[in-house]
Amino acid sequence: MRWRLWLLMAPALLWLVAIFAAPLLHYAWLSTQAQSVLTGLEPRPVGAEQWLRLWNDARFWQDTWQTLRFGAASVGLEMVLGLAMALLLHQPLKGRGPLRTISLLPWALPTTVMALGWRWIFNDPYGPINQLATRLGLGGIPFLSDPAITWMASVWADTWKTTPFVALLLLAGLQTIPADLYEAAALEGASGWQSLRRITLPLLTPYLLIAVLFRLAQALGVFDLIQVLTGGGPAGSTESLALYAYLNAMRFLDFGYSATVMLGSFAVLVVVAAIAALAFRVGRSTPGEVR
Amino acid sequence: MTRRWPLLLLVLMTSVLLGLWSLAANAVERVNVLMPAPFADATAELVAAFNRDHPGIELSVSRGPLETEAMSDLAISSLLLGSSPYDLLLMDVTWTPKYAAAGWLEPLEPWLGDDALADLAPGAELGNAFAGHLWRFPLVADMGLLFWRTDLMEAPPRTPAELETISRRLQAEGKVPWGYVWEGKQYEGLSCVMVEMLRSFGGRWLDQNQPELSSPAAIEATAWLNHLVEAGITPPTVTNMAEPEALQAFQAGDAAFMRNWPYAWAELNRAESPLRGKVGITTMVSQPGEAHAATQGSWGLALLASSRHQQAAIEALRFLTSEEAQKQLNLRWGYTPTRLSVFEDPELLAANPVLAELEQALSAAVLRPLTPIYAQLSDLLYREMNAVITGEVQPAPAMQQLQSNSERLLLTAGGAG
Repeated sequence: MRWRLWLLMAPALLWLVAIFAAPLLHYAWLSTQAQSVLTGLEPRPVGAEQWLRLWNDARFWQDTWQTLRFGAASVGLEMVLGLAMALLLHQPLKGRGPLRTISLLPWALPTTVMALGWRWIFNDPYGPINQLATRLGLGGIPFLSDPAITWMASVWADTWKTTPFVALLLLAGLQTIPADLYEAAALEGASGWQSLRRITLPLLTPYLLIAVLFRLAQALGVFDLIQVLTGGGPAGSTESLALYAYLNAMRFLDFGYSATVMLGSFAVLVVVAAIAALAFRVGRSTPGEVR
Repeated sequence: MTRRWPLLLLVLMTSVLLGLWSLAANAVERVNVLMPAPFADATAELVAAFNRDHPGIELSVSRGPLETEAMSDLAISSLLLGSSPYDLLLMDVTWTPKYAAAGWLEPLEPWLGDDALADLAPGAELGNAFAGHLWRFPLVADMGLLFWRTDLMEAPPRTPAELETISRRLQAEGKVPWGYVWEGKQYEGLSCVMVEMLRSFGGRWLDQNQPELSSPAAIEATAWLNHLVEAGITPPTVTNMAEPEALQAFQAGDAAFMRNWPYAWAELNRAESPLRGKVGITTMVSQPGEAHAATQGSWGLALLASSRHQQAAIEALRFLTSEEAQKQLNLRWGYTPTRLSVFEDPELLAANPVLAELEQALSAAVLRPLTPIYAQLSDLLYREMNAVITGEVQPAPAMQQLQSNSERLLLTAGGAG
């Protein structure tokens, strides 16, 4: 019986090995090698040297912090806005169908295109926002040239693009909640706020978890948006781990270290995802309790 | 049975024809060049002419991205595969040592001779050879220039102090909101600016492969760029300016000076440009007694080691970089030539009013460090410089930090220790 089970799972397992395990193992091996333009691209074993280099690399830790900051801020914002959007699109409004389609548009845009768009919107002083601000007598806002502001601009551009994706996931979740629960609550005299807190949110938790995990995985690997919008600047303040790994591989031709940076950021992702999943498990056990 | 004969005959004939066709196709040598899209447009007529004159070779051009780094990504991705679909590559000057060290290029001197660069204008010969071999032949010269408004001043400034004085005066008179725009974004353009400023203040980036970035001259150069921003001569948005943004501000009439490449001159003199006929070019300002420097940024053709049609590819390289081709590229597309004879062509001198200035600027060309790890060195420099002009860190400590980071990089690059 058991072997037949494994046999049936074998194609899927092989597939997983091919696309996940094999590259990861290759990277793990690469991170013990010096393979760069200075070795003529030939691998040369160096033991744990690349990992020591990573540990002592202030830029790696700065990028880790910046990537986490970007992930937390953008995913947090997207969850709040995405939930609001899903609740709105769940209402039996007139023209709901077209509205649902239109609201997905930002998500359907290629990231590079939308990042170019935001680069223009944020342009100082010729972009539309700053033109308006100047006309209103307000000073220009250095969206892309001030380290304290630019990371928020990048979070906003990401939020704009991916909130519809979160809304879509949550909307699917909302549609699984039976209407009679709300009717019963209304009969008992529950307010809209109460049914949101006691019915919608608890039943939506699995969907929220999926949305958070999906989005965290994407946000912590952010590359194209940053590459196009800021190139990692100003003063390195928006550089992400993925951008750093890319620079090491494609610009510096330092594949050994690039693999180490990738694995390092993979470890960060695993830790964060585990914390998020755990937090949800803890959170989920409370609403069911009698109060 | 007999009715099947015609069908069989047809099949036989088709296969014979197909076989002959593929033999004929093999007889033609296919040469594929990867170029950024604008170069592909500009060379389209030349390529057609080459194919007319060379029936045995079929030259085709793959259009790469416009942006230099995106172009490099495409080229490197294909080269990493081992069998690149390209025979020739149009390369930026800074890629040469890196690509050569990676073993992707074929030395050119066995094909072109040891004196291949003898006919080039002074400055254009730089950056093509590395570690004793010639890797690249320059197609188009490019160098950093100082653009100035001929309608706002008599003569361009020659020293940093003069640039400052003229800027302040024009700003005070309300002629321009800003004095000087340049490339200050965290990217390669900022390194190009810095190469010119280092030389202008008597410093250099590397000397005998040792960084010289905390020298008094380097700190002065950095402090001056930072001072421009603090004094309001350069707008604070310079920290996010690449070439297009600087050109946008200058063309809008918002600055009296701009640092940019020759292409901007053509843009500024288009029929619809508000600054048509009001712009002059010269070399970068420098401290009295120091040289006026122009960062060299040429594009050149390189032969890929993986090419299976090297002889034919060299034919194409010779044709595309010939005197006649360069003349056409300048007349039709405004590209700066690399051959001395083209700079001195009377027809071109009559057609192009700034050709003489370009030749002079090219003779002031300064190279960025020629090393396979240039991209890392430059990344360190433009990050630190950008941090200075965004006000994150003061010039002197920044340059000391940059110096020690660069020293460490040169010691440990690639993890090869």
